[in-house]
Amino acid sequence: MLTGRLHRLWILTCLVAFCLCQGMAMGQKATLQKVDFTREVLPVLKAHCFQCHSGAQQQGGLSLGSRALILKGGASGTSVVPGNGSKSPLVIRALGQGGKARMPLGFAPLPEAQIALLRTWIDQGAIWPDPKSAQKHWAYIKPVRTKLPKVVHPGWVRNPVDAFVLARLERAGLTPSAEADRVTLLRRVTLDLTGLPPTPREVDAFLADKSAKAYATVVDRLLASPHYGERMALPWLDAARYADSNGFQQDGDTYQYLWRDWVIHAYNSNMPFDQFTIQQLAGDLLPNATDDQKIATGFNRCHLLNGEGGAIAEEQRNVILFDRVDVTATTWLGATLACAQCHDHKYDPLTQRDYYSMMAFFNNVPESGTPPGGGQYRIADPWIVATADDDKMKLKAFEDRITAAQTAAHAYLDAHSAELQTAQVAWETSALKTVATVPKLDGWTAVGPFAAASFDAAYDTDFGPEKSLDLTATYDAGKLRWRSHPEWIDGKVYQLDGENSAFYLTRTIYAARPQPLALSFGSDDAIKVWLNGKQIVADKASRAAAPDQDKVTVTLNTGANVLLVKIVNGGGIGGFTFKAQEQGLPGPILAILQTAPAARTEAAAQQIRDYYLTNFPPAELKEPRDRALAAMKERDAYRLTLPRVMVMSDAMPRKTHILDRGNYEMPRDEVKADTPVSLASLPPGAPHNRLGLAQWLISPDNPLTARVQVNRLWQTFFGTGLVKTSENLGTQSEPPTHPELLDWLAVEFRESGWDVKKLIRLLVTSATYRQSSKVTPALRLRDPENKLLARSARFRLSSLSLRDVALASSGLLDPRLGGKPVYPYQPKGIWDGLAITKERDFTYPQSQGADLFRRSLYTFWRRTVAPSNMFDTSVRNTCKVRLTVTSTPLHALTTLNDVTWVEAGRALAEHVMKEAGPRPDARLTEAFRRVCARRPAPDELLILRHSLNRALAVYRADPKAAEAFLKSGESPRDAALDPVEHAAYASVCLALYNLDEALTRE
Amino acid sequence: MNPEFENALALSRRQFFGRAATGVGIAALASLLQQDGLAAIPQASAGMPPLPGLPHFKPTAKRVVVLWQGGAPSHVDLFDHKPGLMARRGEQIPDSIRAKGRLSSMTAGQKNYPVLPPIKPFQAYGKSGTMLSTMLPHIGSIVDEICLVKSMHTEAVNHAPGVTFFLTGSQIPGRPSLGAWATYGLGSMSNDLPSYCVMTSTDQGKTCGQLFYDYYWGSGFLPSKYQGVRFRGEGDPVLYLANPDGMSRTLRRGVLDDLAALNKRHSTDYGDPEIETRITQYELAYRMQTSVPDLLDISKEPAAVLEMYGPDVHRNGSFARHCLLTRRLIERGVRFVQLMHGGWDQHSNLDTQLELQCRDTDQPSAALVMDLKQRGLLDDTIVLWGGEFGRTPFVQGDLSKPAGHGRDHLGSAYSMWVAGGGFKGGTIYGETDDYCYNVAKDPVHIHDLQATILHALGIDHTRLTYRYQGRDFRLTDVYGNVVKPLLA
Repeated sequence: MLTGRLHRLWILTCLVAFCLCQGMAMGQKATLQKVDFTREVLPVLKAHCFQCHSGAQQQGGLSLGSRALILKGGASGTSVVPGNGSKSPLVIRALGQGGKARMPLGFAPLPEAQIALLRTWIDQGAIWPDPKSAQKHWAYIKPVRTKLPKVVHPGWVRNPVDAFVLARLERAGLTPSAEADRVTLLRRVTLDLTGLPPTPREVDAFLADKSAKAYATVVDRLLASPHYGERMALPWLDAARYADSNGFQQDGDTYQYLWRDWVIHAYNSNMPFDQFTIQQLAGDLLPNATDDQKIATGFNRCHLLNGEGGAIAEEQRNVILFDRVDVTATTWLGATLACAQCHDHKYDPLTQRDYYSMMAFFNNVPESGTPPGGGQYRIADPWIVATADDDKMKLKAFEDRITAAQTAAHAYLDAHSAELQTAQVAWETSALKTVATVPKLDGWTAVGPFAAASFDAAYDTDFGPEKSLDLTATYDAGKLRWRSHPEWIDGKVYQLDGENSAFYLTRTIYAARPQPLALSFGSDDAIKVWLNGKQIVADKASRAAAPDQDKVTVTLNTGANVLLVKIVNGGGIGGFTFKAQEQGLPGPILAILQTAPAARTEAAAQQIRDYYLTNFPPAELKEPRDRALAAMKERDAYRLTLPRVMVMSDAMPRKTHILDRGNYEMPRDEVKADTPVSLASLPPGAPHNRLGLAQWLISPDNPLTARVQVNRLWQTFFGTGLVKTSENLGTQSEPPTHPELLDWLAVEFRESGWDVKKLIRLLVTSATYRQSSKVTPALRLRDPENKLLARSARFRLSSLSLRDVALASSGLLDPRLGGKPVYPYQPKGIWDGLAITKERDFTYPQSQGADLFRRSLYTFWRRTVAPSNMFDTSVRNTCKVRLTVTSTPLHALTTLNDVTWVEAGRALAEHVMKEAGPRPDARLTEAFRRVCARRPAPDELLILRHSLNRALAVYRADPKAAEAFLKSGESPRDAALDPVEHAAYASVCLALYNLDEALTRE
Repeated sequence: MNPEFENALALSRRQFFGRAATGVGIAALASLLQQDGLAAIPQASAGMPPLPGLPHFKPTAKRVVVLWQGGAPSHVDLFDHKPGLMARRGEQIPDSIRAKGRLSSMTAGQKNYPVLPPIKPFQAYGKSGTMLSTMLPHIGSIVDEICLVKSMHTEAVNHAPGVTFFLTGSQIPGRPSLGAWATYGLGSMSNDLPSYCVMTSTDQGKTCGQLFYDYYWGSGFLPSKYQGVRFRGEGDPVLYLANPDGMSRTLRRGVLDDLAALNKRHSTDYGDPEIETRITQYELAYRMQTSVPDLLDISKEPAAVLEMYGPDVHRNGSFARHCLLTRRLIERGVRFVQLMHGGWDQHSNLDTQLELQCRDTDQPSAALVMDLKQRGLLDDTIVLWGGEFGRTPFVQGDLSKPAGHGRDHLGSAYSMWVAGGGFKGGTIYGETDDYCYNVAKDPVHIHDLQATILHALGIDHTRLTYRYQGRDFRLTDVYGNVVKPLLA
């Protein structure tokens, strides 16, 4: 044993070695070769000094923003003495010498290597090249394919990826790790490509395949699996901030799952990434765009939508626009364009003008900013009704029925025009006689639409007529005035335009004596009615207009009675219809009636004929008309059940302005849609719209897109990107660990025709990928972050995958692809606690049967409250392309106690008890294999046996506990199994799911 | 380098030494590290040590309690005494006053803005003689402990953005909350409980659904271990806390021992320090299974203490109960407690609801401050009371019909109070104009108050940053000034 003193010395030695390695791993040199200011020094200044000493921030009067300013120095004199680093205050302060506080103040001191770098730079004359002639940041220069580097041990190289990796390792004096054992490798690649564990049968098949191509065969099988698309969709959904609801107070549901399914399908069909880009950004702008291509644009409609009562629509619309710019810039360009929302980017060559020029691409959408309507779903324009083939057939059947009925009606009219004419004359005569005794209605007068911020506001706000009805009044600065509508006849549905808006309609009813009158209304959507100033109907409905939706019987006063109707429309087209029973003739009709037939205008004659045929049709005419109406009603009701997926559209061109400090109320210069000036310009001939933007993103001149995509794919399969900050490749990013490899892959990806599966195959068949993730203490100290890739990454699976693994290995998984979101187990009170509106029920509608066991991808993602057993996820409010993995006791509680895992343990136990024979060792081995893929080692099996025996003893002593334990979950249990034994195995299986190995991709 | 990573590295360094130094006991190792200046990390950090270099300077507070009053309490009726308003009942608020404030779309279209004076009288409380509404007698009784800021202002005019703005520094969801920043910077002080705890409650009448979203205590782009843990009113107090039916604590203990043995064996094989971390977290989970129920069990609280919090303390899930539990959390070393209480959004029921709402909150809020003080905990615990904005001095609805009227949202001026943790008791800071409408003197933007709270915790708000998407983010964005006069 070492003495304390010696031991401490040993630790210090390790530390020194460690720090040196750190410096080297960071790629920084403390040698005397020529320092590159832009590449080496400027990033240090930016990262550690500029926060307090550049631009407007000049602590101590010092700015380090240019050579002149550095020489000028601050309150205490110059900061740099060119040619003498050691005498320069910049270095002295960074070292904390000279009796003053160490810089950077309040942050960790600069690493030794960086201080040495500054010293050398000053020693060499503190050269600061003119920024215009300075070398561009690497990411803004088009990638070129470099020659494969020479390596000392070419035998290790399986494909070009390995050549780059090995060359770097050899330079650092390291050797790659051995290949992972075959079972670990199979589990790794199966999890990576499908998010599911390999079955024991798949393991056996792989082990039995002795051919050199065995691994390649497995990779091909996995890439062809439909579960590949599900797995690849996950990071894309995080980037797109996909969720199944709007967020905020009302948090209405959406139908964006159709877009989610589009993504899964695109991956499965290996859609080239350029198409993947064009369709999602601009599918609607393609010639003869298909429904599918329009649905693809749902990418830019996965934003939050604020339906809160007082929300200001234009403010919310701008929030959505900002979000679109951010999500597009991060997802495709790895650029932090959001920084330029209020001012020019501090570090990257992106101006505020660039920001708003990009925003202009997204500023032509016919949208208000808030979602209209009440009820469960809240869909904001624009959207399309997404129809599957059988939906289309059903809709066509409705249209056929309507056409047939209408044809029959027309045929009757044509064949019986003379009889009808006679009957009409008879009706006119008798009608004129009864006119005096029944109430008489004037024609309609209407005003609207009154626009409001939201459906709620339109419903609640009095735009004037409710307080005082004045048909001479004008509204909205004279734009709205009352107009009479003699052509509106009772019983028919009329259309009213304008979303989130209100119309007022009024008419006078005359009565000869106080008498009751039954009124009937239909409205799209909500309606309020007043008679003589008293409210008689208030129905905040969301629906299509049809007769008799609201009925009320009123008592009329003698003389004139004023009826006022307010129709409030949420989304789509609005409408209304009205009828009065026992009524006299509407004023305009009466007027016509009282005109001699010969003196009537042609229009008047037609109007009264329509009125007669609508209200008093003979049975032979009424029958086909009723049939048509019924079919229309059914069709409309059916359409309402179809998913309405929000998509993009450029139907409302708007001017875009630079907004001062991002404030929508402070527009400045107008800008046109364009790409950032410092990056490549739009390809020749490309339109200045989203389609042009998409073409620009995938053009060979764009330096970023391909790099950003291959970097994120690398992150998916190696845990960390070649550029660790995968969301940002700009000047503030971490430098790439393997710059030439990144560029080689980017060019390869583009030149392959953006073939995603081909690129992934290249990555996962590399020797680099196939290394073991075991690490020696020495290697871990040498390269703690595994930047040099001398081993494979080892990381905990995402919580979505953890659940999938439990479901798959226990046999509970329902592997169906796509479709409506599902509602697996969730403790009580999670959703209900967030129920604000009475417009819908926020009780968690837990799924039944197989839907409980769908992959996590399909779990309904409510934006205001994420699924309770998913941790370390993106919150799906903003774009997220890199997730952090943490380890907390709450995660442990979830996988130990949530019914999802408890039930999986029970099902897995049942499976092995029935399938693996009677021997405990065989059963435990089978369970272990289903979770971890490999066979347990003998000593591990011993611990499992011990665990089983303990549980058996406990449950034998307390069989009721066994019964209780087996009650978890809704899947049926085979009652033939002995409960005590079953519970004991179930407890061990539950433990298996909590093994570090089971939670980890290694 | 990211400080979070540096931390992780420091931990793995220690773990490495832990493994390499076979035969050296933990205590000896700790002392070695201490000598090397490597381990200024308290034992009770539960994997959450403070960032290196923090606190930046000597703090006056170690802990924070946020008593969030969701829906926006009316400063006009409760805190901002303007005797002149009584005579102005029904008078139009001058356009020059209204011009400065932005209104929500609920009253932006209103044609008349008649003054509605406070619905109940004010009176002087405490040695300081601070004028407060007679609806707040208990807060009145502790007024000499509190620092009342009458000149708060915010840009938000709607609830969710307003709450998000105060608690995360941005109106758009997705940034780390104040509690997450504090825990990230200062680490955890408790071994058995989460360092950031949240409880939610609503007014008894459930008049208005101000909802409390996860992101009000979220960690944003900070690692998710810094997010607040919500104690729930029904089912498990912490999600998935209880063992499944039929799994006794004894059996679970055995299972965890087996798991640890298997994990340790695997750790030897793989050399990944994450495995050790996992073993630790499973042990902490096991301890939480007893520490949380122990926390929630108030049966041993003396009757006098319960009485102090008022009768509502006996109702599970009430604000009063949560105030008592807050004291128990603070006693147990929890860094940050956030109570979210709703029901202040009185657009159309001011006349009836405001008083009920005061009854629910006044006594327990004051009791918590007193209880902390009696135990010597108030000195280094900040207690913050307030909501996302204030309410209009003009009426929403018909002035002559109290049954259906109220006040709309107002962001241009409102009041909040802070007690303990180095804040100056018995003081009033800032003034509004004659209508409580705009700040007239010493404005305090919510970023300023955020900066001041961090300052009391020993944190320079401009230096507690996290690099995300190429930018160093902080709670106060690029704003915020420490309001020194609020601090003793």
